[in-house]
Amino acid sequence: MVIKHKFLFETEGAWSDANKSLLCMDTGSWRTERPVLDQAKCNYCGLCALYCPPQCMVDKGDHYESNLAYCKGCGVCAHECPRGALTMVSEGEFAHES
Amino acid sequence: MVEKTKKKSRLFDYFQVKEEQYAGGLSWCAGCPLELALRDVPKVLGKNIVMVGCPCCSAPILYGQNVGTWHKMTYYSTLMTGVASSATGISRYYQKTGNDATVVCWTGDGCAADVGFQPLSGAAERNEKIIYICYDNEGYMNTGIQRSSTTPLGASTTTTPVGKIGRGKPTVSKNLPMVMLMHQPVYMATATLSHLEDFFKKLQKAQQKSKEGFVYLHLFCPCPTGWRVESSMSIEVCRAAVRTNYFPLWEAEDGKPRITVEVAQPKPITEFTKLMRKFSHLKEADLAALQEEVNRRFALLKTLCDAAKEGEKSAVQS
Amino acid sequence: MKAKKGQTRVMTGNAAAAYAAMLCRPDIATSYPITPMSEVAEQLSTFHADGVLDAEMVEVEGENSAMNVVAAASAAGGRAFTATSSWGLVFMYDALLHAAGFRVPVVMAIANRETPGILAVSSGQQDIIATRDSGWIQIIVENDQEILDQIIMAFRLAEDYDIQLPVMVNYDGYYLSYLAEAVEIPRIEDVDQFLAPLKSQPPRPKLQPGQPIGCGTHGIDIGFMELRYKHCQALQRALKKVDEIDAEFKDYFGRGYGGQIEEYRTEDADIIIVTSGGTAGTTRAVVDAKRVQGVKVGLVKLRMFRPFPRERLIKALKGRKAIGVIDRSVSFGWAAGPIYTELRALLPEIGPTPLLSYIDGLASMDITTPHIERVVDEVKGAAQGKPYQEVTWIPLE
Repeated sequence: MVIKHKFLFETEGAWSDANKSLLCMDTGSWRTERPVLDQAKCNYCGLCALYCPPQCMVDKGDHYESNLAYCKGCGVCAHECPRGALTMVSEGEFAHES
Repeated sequence: MVEKTKKKSRLFDYFQVKEEQYAGGLSWCAGCPLELALRDVPKVLGKNIVMVGCPCCSAPILYGQNVGTWHKMTYYSTLMTGVASSATGISRYYQKTGNDATVVCWTGDGCAADVGFQPLSGAAERNEKIIYICYDNEGYMNTGIQRSSTTPLGASTTTTPVGKIGRGKPTVSKNLPMVMLMHQPVYMATATLSHLEDFFKKLQKAQQKSKEGFVYLHLFCPCPTGWRVESSMSIEVCRAAVRTNYFPLWEAEDGKPRITVEVAQPKPITEFTKLMRKFSHLKEADLAALQEEVNRRFALLKTLCDAAKEGEKSAVQS
Repeated sequence: MKAKKGQTRVMTGNAAAAYAAMLCRPDIATSYPITPMSEVAEQLSTFHADGVLDAEMVEVEGENSAMNVVAAASAAGGRAFTATSSWGLVFMYDALLHAAGFRVPVVMAIANRETPGILAVSSGQQDIIATRDSGWIQIIVENDQEILDQIIMAFRLAEDYDIQLPVMVNYDGYYLSYLAEAVEIPRIEDVDQFLAPLKSQPPRPKLQPGQPIGCGTHGIDIGFMELRYKHCQALQRALKKVDEIDAEFKDYFGRGYGGQIEEYRTEDADIIIVTSGGTAGTTRAVVDAKRVQGVKVGLVKLRMFRPFPRERLIKALKGRKAIGVIDRSVSFGWAAGPIYTELRALLPEIGPTPLLSYIDGLASMDITTPHIERVVDEVKGAAQGKPYQEVTWIPLE
């Protein structure tokens, strides 16, 4: 028997190794709407970042912005913002962006 | 122009590790509180941990796929029947070899309350030095929203559906936190994702107390998909659960409970059930039955908390 | 022989198993009582309470946990041991599959007993058969000394870098578990020496908190197939390895058992009796008696059941005039003995030899010398061309 398959695992058993392969899913493509920030209303309290389930809010120094590569558009940030500074806007509004 | 706060929320200070330990894009449903909880765990507990997981909603992320993984944590995967016992083996070996890593079990209610209960109970009784975290989304969600023993009275699930005869789950849920209290663990607590500081404090205390013995955390973790909740409302559902006393936030050291978030004027249970469609078929009488169950459980908890307080007082006096 | 002579004591098979485990200095051992092996747990606990055994002892709440605890501890890097029997073995079945699939070198002693289906608090080998496809290495021993020696060899085999597989050491429940025989206990220093080669081998993977490696990843498509293939290949490597380790043990301690199989008076045998466990001992006596009467009969004692010793069995059985197999279990669906049905797979290589299946010894019904004499006579008849019955349930017929 000649094995042509190049072994994926260095180990005998089922061991994974993030150093060799860290997987990631394109969850940004799930979105049907995205959070839009009205900076005038934001006081940098950080609750949007703390409550964001995928933890994709990026600290911009005086406000937070969602990382659109991973934002699923769940709307938790907009609902939790105590100042109503975030609004969920349909992706359709941004269709012109590449 | 609103005045900016001068510094970041103090909640960020609870993060021992600031960098995200998971990949950016993970397959949890949009709005899933479990994603928030699990992403926060290594941030609060640090990197010197071993996660022990089983098939559940966290398995597709906690377990790798062939050589690849979705995160940078050390993990050991097993079946639901093996979580607490595997954690025991790892913890005991680390104690023997002087390794101070924290062993953390991460399971759903289906494991903790049902098929994995026996090993959980055994590990608790043996006072194994592990943290066992059960995230309770009141059903077997990963396999398609089937009922578990923590599914509440009247809830509609795919195995207790509403039909001509069926009216949702006919029995009350197993009060798992109370059952675990009866094991008198070194530390245990209930927590949820709306009250983050309470959750983070309890995680930290859990890590500290796990060096002495068994720690149990019961996390209320709504399932937007299974309970039919708007994805944006998932944290609000946690909050409503606390505010209606449906899920009181308490902790107990050595079996002596105390409430950590007092709710001065609990709201009626309808403030909770109206946020999700799994209860939409319930009539007034059904809702009254659910309210009665909530009241009964809270009264029991309150009695135990008062008894614990009395015990402390008389211990101080004697 | 390189080792110094050890102390000889009279002890039961269960005690021998516990002594063996203690001598190998496990990091962790779990215990849960079940007849007929509860004494193993008791003896280990006594060693621990007396400070003789420096291991983490976990008195678990069920056998399923007994296996999960040791499998995970092994994945974390520890040397692990447990023991059970029959129902306990099947209760830990999912954990059993885990341990084998995760390639953790756990060693387990099994005092064989009938598995449920029919309630039985008695000896039988159905528990071995019920778990033969678990992916574990399964070895069956004949007497108390062999229990002790084989468990030591089991650690050497399981933890070998080329193998990395869990090993079950099976011994007859009741007949050996409770039978007190004289057993020589090797000195612990000599056992340390015997196991020392493991230290110079490359380390196996283990959990390291803080490192992004995990045990128990999903096997997806070709990855799954690769892992299964590696598992099967490791089991095949265990065949030769068991012979090598047995030779090393004989060289070191002066006692050898033949490795995969033991052949007794087979050189010029026309007919062979194949059996396992304590029955082999009785068969030895019958072979000697029959030889005096001029019957050229030999015994093949099957020691390794998984992996199945294909090559050595072909070599031992080829060209014989007839073969009789005594099984202490049944193969459901074949209405015959399991060792018999597996040997049938070798007939193309063994030759068109009459192969006779004998089922006996279920539920502690003794396989006596008259039973085995009958087997020899019938196999001899088959060798002479007389018509024979393929499967015989001795006590029923």
